Amino acid sequence: MRFAYPDSVTPPLLDVRSLRVRHHLPLDDGGHRLGAPAPDGVDVVVEPGEVVLLLGPSGCGKSTLALAANGLVPQVVGADVGGSVHVGGQDVARSRPPLLTADVAMVFQDPDAQVVTGSVLDEVCFAPENLCLPVADVLARAETALRQVGLWERREDDPAVLSGGGRQRLALACALATDARLLVLDEPTANLDPAGVEEVYAVLRSVAAAGGRGVLLVEHDLDAAVEIADRVVVLDDAGHVATTGPVREVLAGRAELLAELGVWLPTATLAALRLRAAGVAVDRLPLTPAELATVLAGAPSLPAPSPPEPHPPAVLHRPQLPPSAAGDRPAPPVITVEHLTVRRGATTAVDDVSLAVDRGDFLALVGGNGAGKTTLAQVVAGVLRPRRRAVTGTVRVAGLDPRRADPADLTTAVGFVFQNPEHQFVTGRVDDELAHGLRVRGVPDAEVAARVDDVLERFGLADLRDRHPFWLSGGQKRRLSVGTAIVCRPEVLVLDEPTYGQDRERAVELLDLLTTLHDGGTTVVVVSHDMQLVAEHATRVVALADGRVLADGPPAVVLGDDRVLAAAGLRTPPLARATRALPDPAWRAVTRLADLPAPGLATVGA
Amino acid sequence: MTTAAVVDTVAPTGEPATAGPRPGGLGDLRTYNPLVKILGPVPVMVFLVTTRDVLTPALVALAAIAVLAVMGRLRPRVLVAVALGALALCLVMTFSFGLLTDPATVQDTTLLATVGGFDVWSGALATGLATAVRTVALLMLVLLGGLTTSGADFVRALTQQARLPYRIGYAALAALRFVPRFSHELEVIRGAHRVRGVAPGRGPFAAVRRQAGYVVPLLAGGIRHAERVSLAMDARGFGAHPRRTDRVTAPFRVCDVVLLVSFWAGGAGCAVLAALLR
Repeated sequence: MRFAYPDSVTPPLLDVRSLRVRHHLPLDDGGHRLGAPAPDGVDVVVEPGEVVLLLGPSGCGKSTLALAANGLVPQVVGADVGGSVHVGGQDVARSRPPLLTADVAMVFQDPDAQVVTGSVLDEVCFAPENLCLPVADVLARAETALRQVGLWERREDDPAVLSGGGRQRLALACALATDARLLVLDEPTANLDPAGVEEVYAVLRSVAAAGGRGVLLVEHDLDAAVEIADRVVVLDDAGHVATTGPVREVLAGRAELLAELGVWLPTATLAALRLRAAGVAVDRLPLTPAELATVLAGAPSLPAPSPPEPHPPAVLHRPQLPPSAAGDRPAPPVITVEHLTVRRGATTAVDDVSLAVDRGDFLALVGGNGAGKTTLAQVVAGVLRPRRRAVTGTVRVAGLDPRRADPADLTTAVGFVFQNPEHQFVTGRVDDELAHGLRVRGVPDAEVAARVDDVLERFGLADLRDRHPFWLSGGQKRRLSVGTAIVCRPEVLVLDEPTYGQDRERAVELLDLLTTLHDGGTTVVVVSHDMQLVAEHATRVVALADGRVLADGPPAVVLGDDRVLAAAGLRTPPLARATRALPDPAWRAVTRLADLPAPGLATVGA
Repeated sequence: MTTAAVVDTVAPTGEPATAGPRPGGLGDLRTYNPLVKILGPVPVMVFLVTTRDVLTPALVALAAIAVLAVMGRLRPRVLVAVALGALALCLVMTFSFGLLTDPATVQDTTLLATVGGFDVWSGALATGLATAVRTVALLMLVLLGGLTTSGADFVRALTQQARLPYRIGYAALAALRFVPRFSHELEVIRGAHRVRGVAPGRGPFAAVRRQAGYVVPLLAGGIRHAERVSLAMDARGFGAHPRRTDRVTAPFRVCDVVLLVSFWAGGAGCAVLAALLR
């Protein structure tokens, strides 16, 4: 929706010029030192009707730039700022963030941290009320915004009872109710399950289609974002603009550069790059599963896909087994869950679940928010010890009952890695953190030192051994939390959403680590709703919905079943979406990048 | 979509809606001004503190429970819990205060029994009962407002009538919403520390060491959460202007004045009745 006047008169919705931000990092004496500049000399312009996608590795300053759009950086979050930021022609530095609400609306990553009031309607009215609009206008805006995100019928509800996707749609409604023409979205779907991501993007599509508004979108889930984005700005590690341009030109044309920077690429693009390397002629790199499907269907001849690994490959990795047990009888499962029911308050979180996990499995527990997967994993690992009357059924892990076992014995049987690594840190130094589990078990000091050094070395934490765990970076915290679990050499490693809110580089790093451990014989159980990750790494998938097991089998089977995925609040992984319509049955079974007929592109393949 | 049509579905008059549900009209304590309900009984409470007999606070407590029962629109379970809780508190305090009273002051009363070396004097029990009933009466007066007012309504009344800056009131409301999140986070941290074998064992020392370990992760998470919420509030114009639109008003009406006077009259009535009955 362009205005009639010439472009030179209409200022852009957002005009960022040579922005350079150095955060104030607090020092013990109350002063501060300056962080490395990020972003550093960045120009970004958002015009009406345009969706601009901002990409870059973690630490490049994407979120900082988003917060600078209404002056939260530097006015609320302390920083030294160079360059200029204008919204709708106004200099942000000459205003205050609350006063800019009518020009810039924001949606942040964590839906929980954006709820201020006790009802959906009050929440949407909050911003217009702060802007001192008349009551009738407040209500009119609230209704329009709530209808646009599909929450009008739920206006009386407490935001806490909405799903994650519902709360993030509410945050979007709150942004729309400000009537600001610029929307700034900072990783709006990073904390959501696939159904929630879909809900949020359905709303964003309608906002983009309506025109008039401009959107600055920071997002790492490109499979969802490419469909609505018009232009892309990519930042590098140092916070400079690495490349910028129309979305297809950048993502398809400069895919190798992006992969090098550690930026996610759409799965369809990755797949096409692999195919191209294998000799398949791909003229135009696809960005979406639908485009990839067209490429595959149009290719004159497709080579046979790599034969999928035999499932389960558990037979390949069965170390530490006494020879007698490896004979004619199969080894007993390392985790046995029988008719487990767990109630939490009035709800039944886990409902009559029976499950046997073999040694060497790489099991993925998948399902939407509230499906009971975290509860199940926590009960198995002994993290959650429900009261006797809240639980029925039995759980055995490596012969132990996790509800009763002594923590020292339990850490040898099963290690648990929490979604938030900070929750499990119990000491003030990185090396003490690793040694703690061993000392509790009474391991001799010399051996403790040797094993701690070994893990520090393997996880790249040796230089940080005397740091406080809370002062590590996000990726380092994650590595340390995995380290504390595996230093006790557990037979089973359970991880709760290990890639939640992480960028591609960190996620790949973690998954490589897990694959190494799995190859070494550790049984790995991952709770996740990242479907492509599950498809790439798991040997077995258990889908949960409403606390019940919906499906259990190899990834190709479970992830290929649309009905199961829909019932579990999940979506078909992007690659499977592209291959399902192909005539060749071998190709229809392809769900993993590793299944594609190509040896190389190790730097690109996740 | 026209403004008129929208307003029609939300507030038919287009006027600011009034606080709280109003199904019961004047007979519903929830519809009255929160300041009247919460601050109105204060003079009665001050008077109660000065009494020494049993009858006056007992009458006040009974009257307060009666008002709660008739006008509070509480769920029956809550009402029963309040009544039984009051009774239990009364019994426990009577005996514990009775045992703790200095025997020298009640030497002229009857010795009722000796329990485990403690003498139970009738005078001591009477003093204990008076203290207990007074406490229960104070509690009931607090519950009059406490059980019939939502936090949001109280903050509205404070900002609209008591001229409390809305930034303070709404910041406090937002902080209240942290509580369920923190209790969940604490549960996870406890589980995490337990599986890592932190300070196992029983007894107060192990318990204190365990609790101390929860503080750092809980605070780190809490501060981060609070920072995020405050960024979200700033981005939604919180604090842009000295005032904000009151979509929902907490009116101070004639019936609120009547209620206020009734509180005082009720308190005085109880005192007079107690004097007559004595």
